[in-house]
Amino acid sequence: MSDARIDGYARALFEIARAEGTLDEVEDELFRFARSFESSDQLRNTLTDEMIPADKRQAVVESLLGGKATSTTTQLIGMVVGSGRGRDLPAIIDKLVQRASSSKQLEVALVRSAVALSADQQARLKAALSNATGKELNLKVVVDPSVLGGLVATVGDTVIDGSVRTRLDNVKSRL
Amino acid sequence: MINLSLFAADPAETHHWLLPETAEIIYGGIASVVIIGALVKFALPQFKKAMAARTERIQKELDASQGDLAQAEADAAKIRQALGDISSEKARLMADAQAQADALLAEGRSRLTAEVADMEAKADADIAAASARGSDELRTEIGRLATVATDRVLASVLDDATQQSLVENFITKVGASR
Repeated sequence: MSDARIDGYARALFEIARAEGTLDEVEDELFRFARSFESSDQLRNTLTDEMIPADKRQAVVESLLGGKATSTTTQLIGMVVGSGRGRDLPAIIDKLVQRASSSKQLEVALVRSAVALSADQQARLKAALSNATGKELNLKVVVDPSVLGGLVATVGDTVIDGSVRTRLDNVKSRL
Repeated sequence: MINLSLFAADPAETHHWLLPETAEIIYGGIASVVIIGALVKFALPQFKKAMAARTERIQKELDASQGDLAQAEADAAKIRQALGDISSEKARLMADAQAQADALLAEGRSRLTAEVADMEAKADADIAAASARGSDELRTEIGRLATVATDRVLASVLDDATQQSLVENFITKVGASR
């Protein structure tokens, strides 16, 4: 899909979420769903399979998120999947997150962690990254077991890598 | 007795019966001289001419024979020379054929040697490549197994406390980095 179309979808989702008054919550839920979508082959294949009718794909989304996410989030994802743009869902959501952050004069800080972070850890991490980059941040934490341990933070073009995976790769390349 | 009487001289005759008459001798002699003179004057030159022509013809035939003989000897010489040429041509052809055969043999040996060298080089390269490939595959497999083993060891070592420690350490370092 072209960038303009992705941007159009992102803008539409953003406006709906803002109109519903649930932008922060919907943005966070969409972001987490996008990461799950990327990491699960089965989910990705199901929601992007053109042979499966749109209403069936939307029913899958409903069964996955029903009761676990806001109805706005469920309906927005169902709309994208039903229109046959499931393959571009992560890109659309990432654009939406950027747009939401920009609307609040924030920069997205994507943090990959081997374990889930507590609210306190997230707050301190957000403050530490803001201090390091000099920017106000919208922190997004993704649990990624491939990191093994530690954290990898990406703010714009800046990557701060404190993961065990990277250290292990460095040792391996030296060997 | 009768025959003897026939040869006996007739006393009535004036000269011997066996001799001709004098006039006959004179006329006969004159006639003979005339005839002999005519023969000498007219027949002898013709005779000499005929003899000279015959001699000339015989000489021509002798000359022609001599020429034929010389031609025959020349032809014989040519034939002998041609035979000699054939022998030398045969020898030359044989030498050429031998030279070509030697050259072909040498070329074949050279090509065979080169091909054998190429095959040996290719075989060496294949062996080296296979060895390197085997080493690479082994190295890759060892690396893969080491990665899997390391991940498993780390997963067992990186308990919750260690994970939390890594997170806290990261936050502290990043917070102090400005």
